[in-house]
Amino acid sequence: MIIPPYLKKGDTIGITCPAGYMEKEKAQTCITTLQQWGYEVMIGKTLGNNSKNYFSGTDEERLNELQAMLDDDRIKAILCGRGGYGVGRIIDKIDFKQFKRKPKWVIGFSDITVLHCHLNSKLKIASLHAPMAAAFNNDGFKNEYVLSLQKALTGKKISYQTTIHPFNKQGIAKGELVGGNLALLANVIGTPSDINTKNKILFIEDTGEYIYNVDRMFYQLKRSGKLENLSGLIIGGFTDTKDTTRPFGKTVYEVINDIVNEYNFPVSFNFPVSHEKENYTLKVGVNYQLEVGRKKVMLKEL
Amino acid sequence: MKRKDFLSSIIPIGAVFSDMAFGKHIIEEPDIPSKIPPYLNKGDVIGICCVAGYITLEDTQSSINKIKEWGFEVKIGDTIGKRDFTFGGTDDERLKDFQQMLDDKNIKAIMCARGGYGLVRIIDKINFTKFILHPKWIIGFSDVTVLHCHINHNYSIATLHSKMCNSFPTDWNIAEPIQIDSIESIRKGLIGEKMNYNIAPNTNNITGKSEGILIGGNLRTIESLAGSVSDINTDGKILFVEDTDEYLYNIDRMFWSLKRSNKLSKLKGLIIGGFKIKQDDPGEEFGKTLEQIVLEKVTDYNYPVCFDFPVGHQKDNFALKCGIIHRLNVSPTQCSLTEIRL
Repeated sequence: MIIPPYLKKGDTIGITCPAGYMEKEKAQTCITTLQQWGYEVMIGKTLGNNSKNYFSGTDEERLNELQAMLDDDRIKAILCGRGGYGVGRIIDKIDFKQFKRKPKWVIGFSDITVLHCHLNSKLKIASLHAPMAAAFNNDGFKNEYVLSLQKALTGKKISYQTTIHPFNKQGIAKGELVGGNLALLANVIGTPSDINTKNKILFIEDTGEYIYNVDRMFYQLKRSGKLENLSGLIIGGFTDTKDTTRPFGKTVYEVINDIVNEYNFPVSFNFPVSHEKENYTLKVGVNYQLEVGRKKVMLKEL
Repeated sequence: MKRKDFLSSIIPIGAVFSDMAFGKHIIEEPDIPSKIPPYLNKGDVIGICCVAGYITLEDTQSSINKIKEWGFEVKIGDTIGKRDFTFGGTDDERLKDFQQMLDDKNIKAIMCARGGYGLVRIIDKINFTKFILHPKWIIGFSDVTVLHCHINHNYSIATLHSKMCNSFPTDWNIAEPIQIDSIESIRKGLIGEKMNYNIAPNTNNITGKSEGILIGGNLRTIESLAGSVSDINTDGKILFVEDTDEYLYNIDRMFWSLKRSNKLSKLKGLIIGGFKIKQDDPGEEFGKTLEQIVLEKVTDYNYPVCFDFPVGHQKDNFALKCGIIHRLNVSPTQCSLTEIRL
């Protein structure tokens, strides 16, 4: 696994929107904060693009801008403005040649999971699963989750401690960290961006899903062999879940626990990785130790 | 054992040889049609059971009456009327009921009472040993796509994609003719009539003629089988897909999944059934139609594409025989799908 160079004061971070539309104003606090952290910020045209639809520009516009930022040696990290949907439309057209020669940090989550998976499986380059521009708003720039991005960018090894959950399975796991948004992890199965999870620590979060659909997607992970050889499993937030008129009869964590409790690896539920504020920066492709104890849970970068 | 091609009773030797003569690479899953379960005769028994969502006995009554009217007997499974929240009984109950019907030689076809969700929870526990020796028709759609895909991929046995018990109208006098015809097509399929559908053209259709094994079902379900032992191989086949209650962005994402996992590149034809599209939230308009979403994925390929095919979560949902060779003929004036008898 290749770890891109960490950032130094004065380095440039590019902001682009490879998926859904984002108003420029909504990224302003993020831009200011990144500058306060000591970085230069280069804003792509896709941010606040005059797009009339869901996307932050046409496929070509989003592709060209991401490509330009990947290829521009002056840009040391690329922060995706927001997720939504759209990376899967352009991923196979991205030319990673230059990026492979000079890797840089790609930052984001949700739809950006496609990039994390692709970089992990095809290019073996680490990336940052982290809060995006909107997370900086409403005083978000002061919270520990956004600040965890600042620490990660400078190369500080980070440990996260979190509270226990009744469904946790105790134990210690070591391995490369992979994961992201459940719907996207399921969506890339069988494609060139599909990840190998063997001996790895997998983290998963999702939002706005029906409980039955979370059940179905976890069955897909199980049935496609993604769970059986894990070293450890981190279940993040499953926010804004929906239920059918005829209730599913289980909470989303009960659904997940029913499927994963047959395995022996440690499992941590309610880990702060989610579509809510609680969303720690995680280095995808980097080795971690997950320690699920009786009184606390620790995720430590090795 | 990965696949039991040798079980096929009819192997198109000519087709395989002609491929060899042209020096083509013979793919892992050659174009071998499925073993066809025996068609039904008067007096044969059709079992009905819940493999996924729950249904009351009352809600199956219309289908029971109609099946009897067709001259068949009905065996009502234990799961009809059972309920475990959204499911038609617990996993064990649904599994047991389906397994019994699968193993009961007196039952010649199993109609899944309704879809919903639940098959992936039990599919890996179903024992198909007796079914392989004595195939019977498995009937249903939506979540039952799991069975169509699993049986097609692992056992090469034909199945019937069609309406289920919950789609039989309680009052036939006010039912639309198209719904009645759809239900009648189940009977035709089961007694062995050659399937032949003609539909009006959609201006977005891509014209052409092709032949291949028919395969498909619910798009979301097909996606959820990717990477699993039930995942389909679409090479050389005619694929049909339908879905309901999905946002356009998600339909797009699922078609990308098909494309990126090479399920579109070697098709013989593509049939787009009904798609009930969930309205985009204001300001989040996707900006592409279903037709645009599909067509942009297949521009590099050269096979017929037919839109608006009457299959899906809708009144016109005609029975389709999965695993059997069909001819798809898409012309500017009409589109036909015809079962081919070897």
